[in-house]
Amino acid sequence: MKRRTLLLSALGAVGGLSALVVGWGVLPARSRLGSPDLMLPTQGDVALNGWIKIAADGSVVLAMPRSEMGQGVHTALAMLVAEELDVPLTRVRLEQAGADKIYGNVAMLLGNLPFHPLESEDGNKATKVKFGQWMVGKIAREVGIDATGGSSTISDAWEPLRNAAATARASLLGAATAQWKLPVQELRVKDGVVSHASGKTAHYGELAAAAAGIVPGTVTPKDRKDWTLIGQPAPRTDIPAKTNGTARFGLDVRLPGMLFAQVRMAPMLGGTMASLDSKTALSMPGVERLVTLDAVGGSTAGFAVVGKTTWHARQAAQAVDAKWQQRAQGPLDTAQIEAQLLVALQPDAGNTFFEKGNAADAEASGARKLEATYFAPYLAHATMEPMNCTAQVQDGKVDLWAPTQVPQMARAMAAKVAGVDIDKVTLHTTLLGGGFGRRLEVDFIAQAVRVAMECGGKPVQLGWSREEDTTHDFYRPMHVATLRAAVGAHGAVSSLRIQSAGDAISPRWMKRGLPALAGPIDMPDKTTAEGLFDLPYDFANQHMSHVATRMGVPVGFWRSVGHSHNAFFSESFMDELAFDAKQDPLAFRSAFLKDAPRYLAVLKLAADKAQWGTAPPAGRARGIAMHESFGTIVAEVAEVSLQDGKPRVHRVVVAVDCGTVINPNTVAQQMESAVIFGLTAAIHSKIDIKDGAVQQTSFPNYPMVMLAEAPVVETWIVPSVRAPAGVGEPGVPPLAPAVANALFALTGKRIRRLPLVV
Amino acid sequence: MELNINGTPTQIDADPTMPLLWVLRDMLNMTGTKFGCGVAACGACTVRIDGEATRSCVMPVSAAVGKRIQTIESLGTAEKPHALQAAWIAEQVPQCGYCQSGMLMAAAALLEAKPKPTDADIDEAIRNICRCGTYQRVRAAIHRAARTEGATA
Repeated sequence: MKRRTLLLSALGAVGGLSALVVGWGVLPARSRLGSPDLMLPTQGDVALNGWIKIAADGSVVLAMPRSEMGQGVHTALAMLVAEELDVPLTRVRLEQAGADKIYGNVAMLLGNLPFHPLESEDGNKATKVKFGQWMVGKIAREVGIDATGGSSTISDAWEPLRNAAATARASLLGAATAQWKLPVQELRVKDGVVSHASGKTAHYGELAAAAAGIVPGTVTPKDRKDWTLIGQPAPRTDIPAKTNGTARFGLDVRLPGMLFAQVRMAPMLGGTMASLDSKTALSMPGVERLVTLDAVGGSTAGFAVVGKTTWHARQAAQAVDAKWQQRAQGPLDTAQIEAQLLVALQPDAGNTFFEKGNAADAEASGARKLEATYFAPYLAHATMEPMNCTAQVQDGKVDLWAPTQVPQMARAMAAKVAGVDIDKVTLHTTLLGGGFGRRLEVDFIAQAVRVAMECGGKPVQLGWSREEDTTHDFYRPMHVATLRAAVGAHGAVSSLRIQSAGDAISPRWMKRGLPALAGPIDMPDKTTAEGLFDLPYDFANQHMSHVATRMGVPVGFWRSVGHSHNAFFSESFMDELAFDAKQDPLAFRSAFLKDAPRYLAVLKLAADKAQWGTAPPAGRARGIAMHESFGTIVAEVAEVSLQDGKPRVHRVVVAVDCGTVINPNTVAQQMESAVIFGLTAAIHSKIDIKDGAVQQTSFPNYPMVMLAEAPVVETWIVPSVRAPAGVGEPGVPPLAPAVANALFALTGKRIRRLPLVV
Repeated sequence: MELNINGTPTQIDADPTMPLLWVLRDMLNMTGTKFGCGVAACGACTVRIDGEATRSCVMPVSAAVGKRIQTIESLGTAEKPHALQAAWIAEQVPQCGYCQSGMLMAAAALLEAKPKPTDADIDEAIRNICRCGTYQRVRAAIHRAARTEGATA
C-alpha cells in the first residue's frame, strides 16, 4: 500500500469520515472549552465552563475525563488547573467528567499518525505532517474518543485545560472588577483569594455566581516564568488513600444487595461450549444462577456463576462440568505462528512505512551485508487487579462501576448488550489496579452487563480469577523482524533495512470497540510498526516495512505497544553494527545523530550519569539503548552481571526528554516503573499457546520481577521548554535492548530473542 | 465463628474452609485487603495473623479463629498515619496502589520483627508483586520508617 493511502487510513476510523473533513475544513476547530451545563449540577457549586466549577468555599472542581491507573494523571491535570487559577493543589477536587466531545483525547489520535518524528519537529514540520495533523485533529475533535492511553493525557490536556482554567480565572477577575469598579491590572490572586491594595478581598466562591455571566475575551495561559507549581515536584493527591486501604478500585465497589459473579471461559482461545452440566454447581450453598456468555467484545465464550460472595461463585464455577471445543479454524499454536511469521518475511512484502535513498542499490553495490533475525513473544498485561466490572440493569437503565480506560466505549458496549440507548447507561469510573492497555478493552464490561440482565435488577460484581485473566488477555502480538545493513569498504554503514511481521493491533481494537469506524484488520497500522520506521539515525539509505498478518490470537495494546518489541530489534541491531565497526556503542550511535540534537543530548546524559567509558564493577558490564516513543526520548544504561547463569540487572540509569515537565516526581516514578515492567518482559515473560490454550496461567508460571531482583533506577531529566509529552510508556522500550547489549558486552553472546536467555 | 479483627470481636457465619480474604472482603466489606492471584503468589491479600505476615487468600477462616487478625484498616488513618504510611507518603511509593495494602502489612510485620532491617532483610521479607515496579521506593520507605521513632507501634 502506498503511503498516501496509509495516511488517509491512519486512524482506522477515518475511511468514511475523511470526506466530511472537507466540510469541516471551512469551520474553525471545535472548541474544547465546553459549556457550563456539561458539568454535574451540584448544590452550591458554580460551573464556569465544561471543565471548571467553583465551590462555595472557593475550592475548584475539575471535570476528570482520564483514568488513574498509577501514571499520576489525576494529580498532573489538577496541577495544570491549580497553576492557572492560583489555588493550592489540595484545593482542586475531581469529579468524573460526563460524556461530551470536549473530553475526547485528540493527542492520542494524533499520536497514531505514521510520521517520522524528525519530520514533525515544531518549526520544521513537513507539509504532509501539517496536513495530517490538521485533518486528524479535526476528526478527533468531532469523534471525541475519551480514552486514557498512548501516554497522551498531558499532551492532550496541555492547551485546552490551561485555557479552561485561565478562562475561568478571567471570569472570576471580571466579577471582582465589576463589583469593585477597579481595573483588573490592579487585582492580585493568591490561594484563590482576589485582593486589591485598597484592602478589598473576595475568595473565588464569593465571586463565582457573578463570574458565571462573564465571558472574557481572548485569554492566554500564564507565561512559564510565572509558574509556581508546574515543574516542581508535587506529592500525588491519590497517594494517602492508597496507603490506608480506603482507595476504591473496581473490585472494591460494594452496593446494597450486590451479588458476585465469577467467569470461566473456554480454555482454548476462541473456543466454544460443547456441553455444560451445572447441576452440582447450582446445588452448592450460596449459589444463585449460571449465565452462559457469548464471545462479545473479543472475549472467548464461557459462563459466569453468580453467588452471594466471590468465594461461593468461584467454588461453583470450578464445579461446573463444561466441555469445550476448538474454534472453527482449528487450535492456535505459538510454535506454528512463529514459523508462519518467518515465512511472511518475504522480500517486498508488507507496507513500507519509511523509505529514504535507495536501500536496494546500497545493498547491491558490492558492499558487505550484515543481517539478523529477531523475535518477540506474545505477552500478557497481568494487571494486579484482575478484570472486573460491576453492573446493575433495571427499568431500562444500566449502571456500571468499572476500572476502564475507555469510558464511552464501555458505555457503548453496555448499551449494545442491554439493548438500550447509550444515554441510558451511567458509568462510574473507579481507580484502576493497573491498566497497561488491558483496560482499553470492553470484553469484561459486556460480560458484567449480560450477567446483570439475569439478576432481577440486583447489582452484580463480575470478576475474573488470575487464571482467566492470564489465559484470556489481548496479548502483545508476537513479532519477528529481519534487520539488514550494508557496510561499505571502510566499515561505514550505508543502508539499513528492517522488515517485521505480526498482527496489527489498532484495526482489531477498532473492530471490537468501535465497529462502525473500523477498517480491514490487516490494514497498515502505525501502532504496530512504530519504533521501526521512526528511528533518528541518519543512515543515507533506509527501508522500513511491516507485514500485517492474521494469526488469530487476540492482540491488544501493551504498555508502549509496537515500540516495546521494535526497540529491542532496532537498538540491539545498532549494537551489532557498532561491534562490527569496532566502535564504542555510544560513539557509533552519536555519529548518526548529528541532525538529531535532542536525541544526542539524552543519549549523552544517560552515558555521563552511568559513567560510560569507565570500568564497571567487577563481574558486570554495561549496555546502552535509546528510543523515542510518544514524543519522549529515553536513553537507558543497564549494568548487568550473571548470577547462576541468569541475567541480574543491578542498576539502570535513565535519561529522559519529555518536553516541559509537569511533575518531576511523577516522571521519576514512571521511569522506575517502566524499567521494572520492561525488565520483567526482558528476562521472564512469554505466552505460549498449545492446542489453542495459553500455557501460562498465573504468577508462578508467568513470573514478575520482585523486590529482591529489582535494580536501582536513577532518573535524569533533560530541561526543556517544548510542549509536554507523555511519560507512562516511553521508559519501557530501551530497557530490553540495554540489558541485551550489556549481556553481549559481558558474554560475547548476542541474544536476538525475548525473553533473554543466556 | 468469632474472629478478632483489628481488636474487635466479630461474629461471622461462614463455611470454615472459606479463605479469610473473602470473609473480609465480601462478608465484612473490608476491601482494603486485595485479591491478586488466589494462590499466595502475589501478596496483595497480606494481613497479619498474630503478628505474622500471612496470605489471606489461602488461609481458611477457621484457622484464624482465636488469633489476632490485623488488616490494613488497622494500620493507621489519614489523620493519624502509621510511621510506615507516613514514610510511604514521603517517598511517594504507590502508583496504581492495588498491591500497597499487602506491601504495607508485610513491611509492618518485618519492622516489628526487625526494627532496623538491612537491605537483605527487606529482600527476604517483602515478596509481594508490584506490577508498577515501586520496589525501590518500598525499600526506601521501610528504611525511612525504621528511622522514625515508634515505627513498630
